[in-house]
Amino acid sequence: MEIIVIPILALLAVTAVTIARIRNLWAAVMFTGIYSFLSASWMLILDAPDVAFTEAAVGAGIATILMLATLSLVPKNKHKGGGIQNSDFETKRLRGRSVVGSLIVALGTGAMLVYGTLDMPHFGDSHAPIQEYPRPSFVERSQGDMHGLPNVVTAVLASYRGYDTLGETAVIFTAGIAVLLILRRNTDDNDRDANLETTSSNGGGSKPIAVATTSKNSEEAAS
Amino acid sequence: MNRFPIIRVVSKFMIPYILLFGLYVQFHGDFGPGGGFQAGVIFASAIILYGLVYGLSAAQEVAPSWLIEKLIAVGLVLYAGTGFVCMALGGKFLDYDTLEHDLWSELPHGQHLGIFAVELGVGITVTSVMVMIYYAFAGRDRVV
Amino acid sequence: MIVVEVLAWICLVAGSFFSIVGGFGIVRMPEFFSRMHAGGITDTLGAGLVVLGLLFHSDGVLPAIKLLMILFFLLVTSPTACHALAKSALSQGMRPELENDAVKSKATGS
Repeated sequence: MEIIVIPILALLAVTAVTIARIRNLWAAVMFTGIYSFLSASWMLILDAPDVAFTEAAVGAGIATILMLATLSLVPKNKHKGGGIQNSDFETKRLRGRSVVGSLIVALGTGAMLVYGTLDMPHFGDSHAPIQEYPRPSFVERSQGDMHGLPNVVTAVLASYRGYDTLGETAVIFTAGIAVLLILRRNTDDNDRDANLETTSSNGGGSKPIAVATTSKNSEEAAS
Repeated sequence: MNRFPIIRVVSKFMIPYILLFGLYVQFHGDFGPGGGFQAGVIFASAIILYGLVYGLSAAQEVAPSWLIEKLIAVGLVLYAGTGFVCMALGGKFLDYDTLEHDLWSELPHGQHLGIFAVELGVGITVTSVMVMIYYAFAGRDRVV
Repeated sequence: MIVVEVLAWICLVAGSFFSIVGGFGIVRMPEFFSRMHAGGITDTLGAGLVVLGLLFHSDGVLPAIKLLMILFFLLVTSPTACHALAKSALSQGMRPELENDAVKSKATGS
């Protein structure tokens, strides 16, 4: 094992604990971005550069932007000023009441998960199912089957396991359609509803980077 | 919009390279690391960067949302369609060996052609879903 | 050949040194803008010198070209990120603590 793995894993653990403990939501979002970059570099060490791309682009880029967009839609007093004291008080009260119960639930779940791992093959076991299926011969055969395509990962993903990838694509498609149905506002009715929301939650202040102009225009058009 | 001239210039300069890298990951994925999923998110992140810096309306001029919405389905249809073409040519569903041809030697053959088409479908769907989710979030209020 | 090797190691060690200095600076500097200066050192001088050292070390033309492109993009994007941070900090009402202010506040404080 390379030595660099140890500091990266330690930083991952520190970042995860920080995300759980930090009270400022904006900072927590930035920490999730840092977490994604750390895991991307870890995946690079594990010889999975394609997964590392995805993690860096989705986890650190797109997901962070979407989280920030969501936070900017939340009215400011919900997570700053008076609200936080209330919620602090609330958590303290809850903590006092049900610490034993939640401890039992957490320990029970953890014990079950650990018990579940006992059945799993040891780390790096050459007879683990993941080493046996797809058969190692896939790796040897793929060069001939695929007309000399050197990338076995792509060959397994797109050809030997083509059905799985079709299913994954369908999952992404379905998720996209669901988001479209829930979040999109296209018709005039929706626009008016959204305008009410905008005017009620407009105390956001100036945001660091660009500000969209479309909602302004559509407001004028609707009125 | 004119408050960040340096960011605007630099991102305008960087976006073509991000798009180029996305295309490289897409079409070189058979030989090196990469593939449809990876290329899709890289391509989408370039469009999202453009939207962040230049505003949502500018991004929607480049990639209009009606087009993006249709491309979500086009990618999946391209994937499944490859499978049906294989069936029509007498094989099983997604059995790319039937795509063997001698039309044009530059075009990839058999399995390679199938993988190429399928990865392209995945890339189109992933790109358009990511961009569409960004549009859906950013269109609601101010962009971050 | 030995000269190139020595140059490579000098660059690598210097780059690591500047990265460590930048890390210390982020922790130890008194306020936001000087911390950002330390972060900028890590981004440009630290990472840049490491890439330069790897460039001397690389065999073949293709890795060298790739490293040059990485260096180029690093030198373009890192200062831009720094600039964006500073600009948004300024627009949110943060002001750099100048030496005069520190002297003044010390004078009024004591």
